Amino acid sequence: MATHVDTHGEYHPPGLQHQFEDMKQQEESVSIGMWMFLVQEIMFFGGLFTVYLVFRSRFPMAFAAGSNHLNVVMGFANTLVLIVSSLTMALTVYYAQKGNRNMQVILIILTMIFGATFLGVKVVEYKEKYDDGLVPVTGLNRKVKASAGEEHGEEPAKPCWEGAHEEHEYINPKGEFQWHDCSLAKKAENEGFLTPTEKIGYYNPASGQIDANKFRDKVRIYFWIYFAMTGLHALHMIVGLILMSWLLYKAWKNTFSAEYYMPVEMSGLYWHFVDIVWIFLFPLLYLLGRHFIAHGG
Amino acid sequence: MQTQDEITGEFQRPKLNYLNNGTTLKSWLLTKDHKRIALMYLISVSAFFMMGGIYASIIRLELLTPASDLLETGTYNKVFTQHGILMIFFFLIPSIPAVLGNFLIPIMIGAKDLALPRVNLLSLYLYWIGGSFALWGLMQGGVDTGWTFYVPYSTTFSNTYVMAVGLGIFINGFSSILTGLNFIVTVHTMRAPGMTWFRLPLFVWAHYAVSLVMVLGTPVIAITILLMALERVAHVGIFDPSIGGDPILFQHLFWFYSHPAVYIMVLPGMGVVSELISNFSRKKIFGYEFIAFSSIAIAVFGFLVWGHHMFVSGQSIYAGMVFSFLTMVVAVPSAIKMFNWTATMYKGSISYDTPMLYGIGFMGLFLIGGLTGLFLGAIGLTVHLTDTYFVVAHFHYVMVGGQVIAYLGGIHYWWPKITGKMYSEFWGKISAMLVFVGFNLTFFPQFILGYQGMPRRYAAYPPEFQVLNIFSTAGASVLAIGFLMPAIYLIHSLIWGKEAGPNPWMLPGLEWRTSSPPPTENFLEPPVVTWEAYEFGEDSGLDLEEARRRAAVAPVA
Repeated sequence: MATHVDTHGEYHPPGLQHQFEDMKQQEESVSIGMWMFLVQEIMFFGGLFTVYLVFRSRFPMAFAAGSNHLNVVMGFANTLVLIVSSLTMALTVYYAQKGNRNMQVILIILTMIFGATFLGVKVVEYKEKYDDGLVPVTGLNRKVKASAGEEHGEEPAKPCWEGAHEEHEYINPKGEFQWHDCSLAKKAENEGFLTPTEKIGYYNPASGQIDANKFRDKVRIYFWIYFAMTGLHALHMIVGLILMSWLLYKAWKNTFSAEYYMPVEMSGLYWHFVDIVWIFLFPLLYLLGRHFIAHGG
Repeated sequence: MQTQDEITGEFQRPKLNYLNNGTTLKSWLLTKDHKRIALMYLISVSAFFMMGGIYASIIRLELLTPASDLLETGTYNKVFTQHGILMIFFFLIPSIPAVLGNFLIPIMIGAKDLALPRVNLLSLYLYWIGGSFALWGLMQGGVDTGWTFYVPYSTTFSNTYVMAVGLGIFINGFSSILTGLNFIVTVHTMRAPGMTWFRLPLFVWAHYAVSLVMVLGTPVIAITILLMALERVAHVGIFDPSIGGDPILFQHLFWFYSHPAVYIMVLPGMGVVSELISNFSRKKIFGYEFIAFSSIAIAVFGFLVWGHHMFVSGQSIYAGMVFSFLTMVVAVPSAIKMFNWTATMYKGSISYDTPMLYGIGFMGLFLIGGLTGLFLGAIGLTVHLTDTYFVVAHFHYVMVGGQVIAYLGGIHYWWPKITGKMYSEFWGKISAMLVFVGFNLTFFPQFILGYQGMPRRYAAYPPEFQVLNIFSTAGASVLAIGFLMPAIYLIHSLIWGKEAGPNPWMLPGLEWRTSSPPPTENFLEPPVVTWEAYEFGEDSGLDLEEARRRAAVAPVA
């Protein structure tokens, strides 16, 4: 006890650090520490969820319009991929407790593959947004010259304001945010469920009509929140993959046993947490206002 | 109590202690010893305090005359912003937790170290990295948004180094989170046998409450700064009302952290003062459970009052009423502490050593700071007082009169434990007096100025306010001397101070039952606790005979 050097003469279990008396104390400490870390993560994401809540309750139609433009199939596939990766992660913990090296290695690699798949799909989705001019930052969208605009085969959505020049659709030389579809706002207006805040937000005060540019700005807020939330989530996935690579190395060297498996369990907690964040993101971002499509078109 | 060496002879400095266990730079920079990390924090925090103090001096010099003659108004904006940023994020928030808490919590609960020593070292490095970003930003030209980074100043109208400083605060926030996380884990799992929750020193309870606030609140400021930075880059407009955004949303998010942060800046001070008052009255603290739970209550209610920063910025009047009520509620636990400290002193054997002078000073100043907080929490009166010097005076009474005074008291109190040396009690008392007088002279006139309507954050003011401003600047000079003196005599004591011995104050706390300075793993024998907190009687395990002998030779002043 009186030694001032870090090495201990007597035997102690693998992975026991000097400040602890026994493994139980260490496991308890590490576990509380990880849970506190996850609590701070919840608060961290909580700020973004608050921003989402505020703007969604203020501009529900703009959010529904933006949400309908997300690729719900890819979002759903990603949800499945993440849930399965949670299963493989949980099994990794199980086999780490058993000390089964081969199963650990296989399952960690599987988890990593699922994580990478998720990120790959995310990249495809981001690319779609980039091509469609839906990145809310000017200059970060695909720049389309005026001549290239005519090659675009797709029929542009009908603009909802007077005096629009259809030939200028999809021409985006500066890479600005593009949004031309006001149909949801019109529909809500016709059926009379536009909220007072929405009226202030969408109407042009001079004409008393829905102003496409003002509506576009609200949709842009939606996409901004979409990118902030999914981007932060993807960043956490990347950190998770780095953790997994480290675990893979450790598992390869057969470090974990019934006595010492906390690193696997803690990484697992982190991985599950990141999955759960997605479980909230998916319905909040992808599934808004799908019924408008189902009924209206 | 300074005459112990006359009684028992010279104390021997322990041969092995945390200070001489490894002398290379590497042994410091890669240490996992909480005591060394605390010392490195002490040096860094002091450096930031000096820098913040220099900015404060410039502000007071500018305000000596009504005209804006020393600084241009733009420069003045930068000076008060940087004073605020350095003092709040890089001094007040880490001051007591990262220095005294880091050093003492493991010793007070009888542990070898914090539960997560590597995380502790990481938090120090994050503090340094964050501090470097902020300093780089300040050196490049600084920030002029006010320490609150309100939009649209920070997003649209400022072309100063908002991003660098914001990044610094973002990183530094994680240092604070990790410190809090570590304390929570440590208090839960590392207590020595017999150290039950209700035997914990109140210093530890206060830090437990602070840690909760750090872990729950700081991530929100992190995400807020991130959103502000993205908004600054992208101009999407979530904080810009002209395209549907909401600047009040920024204020809500900002104060959701920054109001609880106010309690990060005072709860540890309350913990220190609980120690000082009980120990220097040599009496078991009155209402231990009430003080312990009032810390938790402050931490909880502190999260529910952020809206009182937005009474006049467009928040709904009904929200304002609720927040006003909750603000009154959060004053109750603070008052409970004040009453219990007073009751502890009643019929105690009070000795007026330097730490106790700071402790008593805290009670007086915090009382004024707390009561004026009620003025500002009342939604009617606050319309008149918002953004005046009344607010400035109020929060300086709480922040400086509270936390800084408690911090200095704590540094003096545990200095013999940290360094093994006694400082000069004579100079200590002089400086404690100077700080108290200088502080009141600086900030009390600002209450009057504010009530008369002098707004904050202006470089120029009408000439009729000059007399009180001169008082304030004069007081600031006295205060500066009071702050500089400890720097001199404490460093002096490192070389020429007397050996303190393990228990110079003759107190029962666990930290006084190991050598000064303590060995690397804090105790030579793992301690077993059999006494209650602040137990001065026969059950305390103290050497009462020795204490009486000393008291007979050198009667308590």
